[in-house]
Amino acid sequence: MNIILSGVGGNGVVLTTRIIAEAAVMEGINVRVGEVHGLAMRGGTVVSHLRLGHDAKGVLIPQRMGDMMLSFEPLEAIRQLKLLKRGAKVIINNDPYIGVDAHLGLSRYPDICRVLEQIQETQDLVDVPATHLAVEAGGVVMTNVVMLGTLSASRELPIRREVLLEAIKSRVPPHTIDKNIVAFELGEKAFQEWESSRACQVKQ
Amino acid sequence: MAKKNRILGGAGEKVLLTGNEAIARGCLEAGVVVATAYPGTPATTILEKLGDVATELGFHAEFSVNEAVAFEVSAGAAMSGVRSLMATKMLGVNLIADPLTVISVTGVRGGLVIITADDPQQFSSQNAEDTRFFGMLAKVPVLEPVDGQEAKDMTRYAFELSEELELPVFLRITPRICHSSFPIELGEIHPPKRNGKFLRDPKRFVMISTFSRPRQKILNEKIAKAGIIADTNPWNRTFNFQNGRAVDDNKAYNTFGIIASGMTFPYVEEVLEVTKVNARVLKLATTYPLPQNLVTEFLREMDQVLIVEENDGVTELLTRALAQRKRLNVRIMGKDEGLIPMSGELNPDLVGDALEKLFGVQFREELTEPYIKAEKELVSQRVPALCSGCPHRASYYSIKEALRRKGMGGSIMGDRGCYNQGAYAPLEGIDSCICMGASIAMASGISHSGTNEPVLSVIGDGTFFHSGIPSLLNAVHNRSNIVSLIFDNSITAMTGHQVNPGTGVNLMGVHTGNANLKKIVEACGVERVQVINAFDTKRLIDAVMEEIDQPGPSVIISRSPCALVVERNVRQRKLKMYRAEVDLDKCIGCKVCMKKIGCPAFGWGDDPKPHLEILPHCNGCGLCVEMCPFGAISVPEKREGALGISVKPREVRE
Ligand SMILES: Cc1ncc(C[n+]2csc(CCOP(=O)(O)OP(=O)(O)O)c2C)c(N)n1
Ligand code: SF4
Repeated sequence: MNIILSGVGGNGVVLTTRIIAEAAVMEGINVRVGEVHGLAMRGGTVVSHLRLGHDAKGVLIPQRMGDMMLSFEPLEAIRQLKLLKRGAKVIINNDPYIGVDAHLGLSRYPDICRVLEQIQETQDLVDVPATHLAVEAGGVVMTNVVMLGTLSASRELPIRREVLLEAIKSRVPPHTIDKNIVAFELGEKAFQEWESSRACQVKQ
Repeated sequence: MAKKNRILGGAGEKVLLTGNEAIARGCLEAGVVVATAYPGTPATTILEKLGDVATELGFHAEFSVNEAVAFEVSAGAAMSGVRSLMATKMLGVNLIADPLTVISVTGVRGGLVIITADDPQQFSSQNAEDTRFFGMLAKVPVLEPVDGQEAKDMTRYAFELSEELELPVFLRITPRICHSSFPIELGEIHPPKRNGKFLRDPKRFVMISTFSRPRQKILNEKIAKAGIIADTNPWNRTFNFQNGRAVDDNKAYNTFGIIASGMTFPYVEEVLEVTKVNARVLKLATTYPLPQNLVTEFLREMDQVLIVEENDGVTELLTRALAQRKRLNVRIMGKDEGLIPMSGELNPDLVGDALEKLFGVQFREELTEPYIKAEKELVSQRVPALCSGCPHRASYYSIKEALRRKGMGGSIMGDRGCYNQGAYAPLEGIDSCICMGASIAMASGISHSGTNEPVLSVIGDGTFFHSGIPSLLNAVHNRSNIVSLIFDNSITAMTGHQVNPGTGVNLMGVHTGNANLKKIVEACGVERVQVINAFDTKRLIDAVMEEIDQPGPSVIISRSPCALVVERNVRQRKLKMYRAEVDLDKCIGCKVCMKKIGCPAFGWGDDPKPHLEILPHCNGCGLCVEMCPFGAISVPEKREGALGISVKPREVRE
């Protein structure tokens, strides 16, 4: 199974990938993680390739071979879109990071609705207000745990909920474990809401 | 944070490690006694990981002042009979070329392993050079792992090989090894044997020409022997791929062959599995010297061989030479024939493209219309920026403002560090970035060229210690008319906040005192030196304007700690982080602040009218307050004592 995680520096892409990979190892699943993270500074593009299963050998996912994506930022999802199979699920935090470069016209940040529509054209899009939910749980830093909750609830991963939670607990500061569990649960709930809203649409 | 150190896991355990962690673990399994490095992405974390456990396990680990020094420290230890490591990014190998090409002649006693991280995709490097040429230059063997497990195991083996040959050994890796994670089966950790002793042997270690000349023969014999040992290296393996399945046999029934050099093997494997092209594959771990018999026997049965390798066509070159020497009639293809790209890293798709050209098979899934459209219409490169609150932003603003007020143009020779991000708009604060330490000397050259514009240079504290000092001495000695700015954030930030002599603490966590930058500058003979708080823009602008008018070299040390270090200290000490605030009645939405300093904590709001918004990651440095012509920005309290917050790198590291 090929999973792409994308976002900008400061989103916690690298940490999140590690958490999933560690949970996979706990489950006895073979993993490969390929990461690109640049320098110490924040705000640059970050992407990691997570490959699970006995056939995972190389660290890079070939074009259009991705089974799903977890994106912490909408535009970054578009940037990695060509790695995905058609119809693959994309879980996205719909909170854009528009850098000062875009405000100055040095780069371009497209209309957010246009971004989401574009993803929807080929992918199964689950968009989650993860930043807001994290704030609700107690802090922006837990955005990635919200996303992990959504991912877990989507049942796409061959990893059990408890194991994923275990991996999260071993990676966050001990005194924040309770808050992180709340964040995780909010993420799960967001998925369930998305699922039921989709069910309504289907009925209509 | 859960602090169980993964690289200390028990023998037989399987743990998830990055390639760099795996290499660090390999060093522990080899019982390394001295480990050195100078930071450089992507190799930096190897020594950080070793530094974390050095005191506990009883070996010496250091971040040296530069790579040449690091290598010489390790070589000294190896000459004393103990196992010793030096890790660097490939650019650092340029610096060690001088000692390396002689230490290969003297040879070593304890194993000496050099980890070199090449960067074919240039994720974080000024060029894409191929270290294998340095192996050939110095006659030092080069080993290349394909994944984390091999990286760990080969590190341990590299020490053994080095001892067998009494020659340094390169282990060449790339970011795809360093920063990737793999489940790794751990071996036994061997306690370091710290029993070194340098045994006098002038004919071996005093490399005056009379003593060195006879040793060339010994070196040539050693590297020839390395080629023979490579023939039986267990990581060199041949496979037959039949119908998408690898058969680990030794029979030669395919006449199309692939030599997968270094870490490209998994890509080749994946492509053959999918396309079902039948091929015999040589997975090559010893890229220099080539395993002569193994490659000869491989080529003998082939009609055509594709060489898959990253960076330059070194395996291709060596294979062609071997085929010619053995008079083998085989077509060798690779970069020369345009099948494998000449530059950039490889991936399965690119290997697939080569097979498509050869056999018409398809590996790469095509990009259909919506994907092409999404990429074309929506994707735009983000422009990297200095962090919010970075002192370099304040320094650049002041330098550019001083030059603007002077109205005489001028050039600013840059160096290598976080301050490179100041090259982008809107700061556009440097006119060059060549290599570490180049700024001051290049500025000197321009000043002697007859220009009548001001010539400035910018260098960080880390880079000044690394290789700036000789250039400054030179500027004094030869009277260059330059203004050199040293951006002193008391840490080597760009590579992830490593200690340097100005930090006060070393990698082992020992307080060794801060090197006094100002005194060093004065001791070089610079008469005009001043130290200014980077955020004191008024003084800094005045100082730059004043120094431009002075003849001879002058130095301005612009000092303030790295914003990320400040943030972390503020967090750890539970201090309050102040953020800038915008007065909506005063902000007219002119974006002057953005155009002047482009801080990434600047956002934009439209409600009820266009105005500046301050994003949550603002850390209240206060620079923007001065930028607004209408006084719309304020900070409740300007970050007090930014200079007083001590830098504690052992806590700072992730
Ligand atoms: C020969 C060489 N070694 C290492 C590096 C990697 N590198 C890039 S910048 C830098 C250090 C920057 O430190 P400093 O000058 O203190 O600037 P800062 O990033 O702290 O602003 C290093 C080690 C390199 N580019 N070249
Ligand atoms: S890491 Fe530190 S020195 Fe580098 S850009 Fe950020 S604040 Fe500036």
